[in-house]
Amino acid sequence: MIGFENVRKEYPGGTVAVEDFTLEIPSHRSVVLVGSSGSGKTTLMRMINRMVDPTAGRVLIDGEDVAHLDPVQLRRSIGYVMQASGLLPHRTVLDNITTVPVLRGTSRRDARTRAAELLELVGLDQQVATRYPAQLSGGQQQRVGVARALAADPDILLMDEPFGAVDPIVRADLQQELLRLQRELRKTIVFVTHDIDEAFLVGDRVVLLRPGGIIAQQGAPREILARPADDFVSRFVGADRGTRTLHLEEVDGRRVVVDADGRATGVLDHDRTAGEHMT
Amino acid sequence: MSARTNTATQVLFDAPGPKGRRRILVLSILSVLVILGVIALGLRQFAMNGELDPGKWVVYLRADYLAFLGKGLMGTLKATAMAAVVAFPLGLLLALGRLSRITPLSAAVACWIEFFRGIPMLLVVYAFLLALPAYGVNVPRFWMLVIPMIMVSSATTAEVFRAGINAVDKGQHEAAAAIGLTPRDSMLHVVLPQAVRLVLPSLILALVSLLKDSTLGYVVSFNELQFQGKTMVSITRYLVQTYVVVSVIYIAINFLLTRIALALDARMKARATGG
Repeated sequence: MIGFENVRKEYPGGTVAVEDFTLEIPSHRSVVLVGSSGSGKTTLMRMINRMVDPTAGRVLIDGEDVAHLDPVQLRRSIGYVMQASGLLPHRTVLDNITTVPVLRGTSRRDARTRAAELLELVGLDQQVATRYPAQLSGGQQQRVGVARALAADPDILLMDEPFGAVDPIVRADLQQELLRLQRELRKTIVFVTHDIDEAFLVGDRVVLLRPGGIIAQQGAPREILARPADDFVSRFVGADRGTRTLHLEEVDGRRVVVDADGRATGVLDHDRTAGEHMT
Repeated sequence: MSARTNTATQVLFDAPGPKGRRRILVLSILSVLVILGVIALGLRQFAMNGELDPGKWVVYLRADYLAFLGKGLMGTLKATAMAAVVAFPLGLLLALGRLSRITPLSAAVACWIEFFRGIPMLLVVYAFLLALPAYGVNVPRFWMLVIPMIMVSSATTAEVFRAGINAVDKGQHEAAAAIGLTPRDSMLHVVLPQAVRLVLPSLILALVSLLKDSTLGYVVSFNELQFQGKTMVSITRYLVQTYVVVSVIYIAINFLLTRIALALDARMKARATGG
């Protein structure tokens, strides 16, 4: 479990990135911090692995204040995936993945075996192991980034707009892969994005932030969609946009879901009850 | 990095149109004609003074002449190599010192670098030749040349390294920190390898200027190529011929070094763009 207790971040010069933030992130779930730029979402995420230290308040991992942990050791125990992958361009894919395990004392051979497993896990061909990052596509690089983050088998995975720099088709693909991985691995994932659709897709819980790290609303995606707390949330989730306000129309005895612009988006499945959807 | 420079060039300079291309062609032909004319005039002048007399040139094929100049060439290469071997690593250390977060160290190194970057190397050579012996400090002639070369070159290459380190994408520092590398590991295994790759072509060009700096060896009477040439002139009186031959040797070596630099640069560009 990750806990934020009255966390504040003020930069020299008086800019307040986060005013007063309190949140509990349950283990083995994925939580998405979503907000536009200036919402402090990345700052908050980086407090978990001490890339940023809070000005006031505490960040706890399983009850332990991260301020008391050595930043380097802490970071080695937490997976981190960043936008544009952050791979080391002068090292092969294999070396990129094995860097942290080798630093933690795993033998080179074990690290390589594990790297081969990880490549398979993230859906990459073994051939890419000997290539350099520049020789891979953006989507492949991002997969390597995920493999590297998982290399030391961390409990926590931090993802900083990981799919922001790839094209929409590849992004959709990577999002599905992430969901598949999470079903297998059950990590505690903290995911930062400004894309509300991505947030609703990958997050068990979504935390919607206003500028200054103020929580506008948090909850499961369906709760936020069903009951936006205020106008800000409504606007942000696009409840006022046509694609989110759906209604039913009867066509040939079947109920078709239609959006506000009159475009059909799907058909209601009679065989499944509402309860099944909600699990 | 290189790929980005390419697009920057394309952005800054529009590809010339048909008119522009014609103008460039005409100007190119004109300038080639002018240069050829100047060379022809020079040769005519030499010919009138008998400098083109074959007898004055074939002597440079004689074994003893070649051996004499060869000895100078060896001296030049030895001084350059020794200076480079010490100056380049020293330059890297100075760059790291200047980038250090320890302010007094950084300031001291910055002063040292700016001093030796700004001062003409000849003055440093004079210090070793004239000033220091007055205080009883005497070094062999080889070192009178090489130590000033090291001092000046390490200061200039320090700035090359610093530029290289700063040119490494800031995201790389962050990426290294995020995956749990210590600042030292991150500098050693992530930033420096990339920085050195970036500046490798510039380092080879620094080698070219080091080679040319070694000509100051004549000041301390160290037997490098320039000094041997000077001695040869005083013996044979073939001023023009000797210096043409010596120049050709310098140009040949530097041309070779520059080609190596370009080849390296091209290879790295290919690598950066995934070739």
